[in-house]
Amino acid sequence: MTRQGRRLSASRVLGLGAAGLVLLAVAFAIAVRFGEQPISLSAALGDPQSSDAVIFWSLRLPRALLGIIVGAGLAASGTTLQGLLRNPLADPFVLGVSGGAALGATLALALGLATVGQVAPGLFGGLSRLSGPALLAFAGAGGSVLFVLAASRGHSSRAPYAALLTGVVFNAFASAAITLIKTLSAPDRLGEILYWLAGSLGYERGATLGLAALLQLAAIAVMVALSGRLNLMMLGDEDAAALGVPVARTRRLLLLATSASVAGAVALTGLIGFVGLIVPHVLRLAFGPDQRLLVPLSALGGAAFLVLADVLARVSFAFFGNELPVGVITALLGGPLFIALLYRRGGAPRAEGRG
Amino acid sequence: MRVRLTPLLLLAALVFSGVAGAADAQPGPRWLGPKKPAKVQRVVTLAPSLSEMVIALGAGSSLVGVSRFDTDKSVEKLPRVGGFVDPSVEAVIALKPDVVLVQPGPGNQRPVERMAELGVPVLLLPLHTVADTLAALRAVGQALSRVQEADALVSRIEAIRSRIREAAKKLPTPRVLLAYGFEPLVVAGPGSFADELLRDAGAVNVAADAGSAYPVYSVERAVRAKPDVVVDAADVDVGKEKIQALPGLSAARWVEVPSFALLQPGPSLGKGLEELFGLLHPGVQVR
Repeated sequence: MTRQGRRLSASRVLGLGAAGLVLLAVAFAIAVRFGEQPISLSAALGDPQSSDAVIFWSLRLPRALLGIIVGAGLAASGTTLQGLLRNPLADPFVLGVSGGAALGATLALALGLATVGQVAPGLFGGLSRLSGPALLAFAGAGGSVLFVLAASRGHSSRAPYAALLTGVVFNAFASAAITLIKTLSAPDRLGEILYWLAGSLGYERGATLGLAALLQLAAIAVMVALSGRLNLMMLGDEDAAALGVPVARTRRLLLLATSASVAGAVALTGLIGFVGLIVPHVLRLAFGPDQRLLVPLSALGGAAFLVLADVLARVSFAFFGNELPVGVITALLGGPLFIALLYRRGGAPRAEGRG
Repeated sequence: MRVRLTPLLLLAALVFSGVAGAADAQPGPRWLGPKKPAKVQRVVTLAPSLSEMVIALGAGSSLVGVSRFDTDKSVEKLPRVGGFVDPSVEAVIALKPDVVLVQPGPGNQRPVERMAELGVPVLLLPLHTVADTLAALRAVGQALSRVQEADALVSRIEAIRSRIREAAKKLPTPRVLLAYGFEPLVVAGPGSFADELLRDAGAVNVAADAGSAYPVYSVERAVRAKPDVVVDAADVDVGKEKIQALPGLSAARWVEVPSFALLQPGPSLGKGLEELFGLLHPGVQVR
């Protein structure tokens, strides 16, 4: 890794950040311009009564925004967790989030709970606009992370390892429970459950998007703020503590931020895989392992990647007469892309600062 | 790259296209296993619409086991023998049925073949289309020695169909979207049971351009299509408000199916068709 020793200069951060923003802007432009239906931009922007305007403003714009919000959260969380757990295979769902969220949503779908009113009456604002599955997914994700962290406490020196293992076991347990629910629910509900598990971007209202954006912004801000400390912690807990890093507290804060971010993402879009695993690794291969650079770049890159994948998911309707869940696209694109990059570099992906 | 992705994407599309009406190798009702006894007294069914057929032919008392999904009052007390894709061979064999009625599918092929191998007469009844349903009614009638009842029922249904088709000819043609779910938007596509009934009732199915019988439909396309009527056949309202609020769909007349008879390829399909006609052409009397 030749780039590893490179100092983080302000101009480099700004340059890469600007490049990431440009990439995201291009992805966004493509996403609102293209879809299942050809639309005329002049009609969309000029005649608010036309169906072009409806498709542009009420469908594509919120969906692209949702892609940005969720993609940024997933990729930033993935980067942070890979560093925090010192494990290149860590992804946003590794701490039991996916299992808990999927269990919650599957329960809601199987029981036919549609609205928040049926689950938790009395919520207001953007929350009352959530669907039942989204709310239960959020609760399941949050609850499972808390459980995994509580269950793996008391292994201070091996904390990353214990949390990882507990998370993996919890996910396996949850997936068995989901299979049980699936076998017991009516066949017509199966399609919905499968679709949710595959992960897809839908059409959320402004208030919901606002809430989701606030949550992700706060979570990503915490990850960015602590990324310097995380660099030191990747050297090992003792070394970091010797350098004055409050290790336990930083770890708690970062776990909290990533869990909130992933729970927020999963609640709205189901389990979109690969974004949180692939994007951080690709960027790490390109720019080295400095978390201060990787976290913001991952947020931008993850957002662009997910938005573009969703364009493909929507355009695929023309070929299949069926909209594909975006999680299928991210996996189909992400896998080969990643392996190709790996071979070109001829090196294994690493999550740590030093071999 | 793109060339190599195509088969994968196709595979993914197949996986997620739901329970599309897979073409059966041999269409039409057919028997597996040994010959059925002359007098059938014990019947097991593996799908609710098949139980309905038995009941509609007046042979409800011969039912000794039904699927997990049966909800009809008259079969409440009967033993359950599993679901559509996971029937329990043991439970079926234990009931010593004279006939097992099965809706064949890729998921239940092995257990059903096993039942036949173990000496239970199995009647396979594909139920994708209206024609399938009528053929199945006739076949069940023959199997249960209720040929006259079956003929009468089929004639009644056919009479309703032709009456409704005639009436629809004189009426305007509404453009309709029939939704089974809103998040994702799953609709009745070409080749679905509801698609046939929509055409009988003189409607244009705006989702006739979709790729499968029960596709996840593009919301953009639905907005662009501006249907006159949206028929809500979803049993859960997840995401309904969002779709309903969209311009292009909010202007449509939204109606809900009064019962799920409409969705069932069973003996009540005549009733389903009448209900659908009533929803699409309110106030029109069909004599």
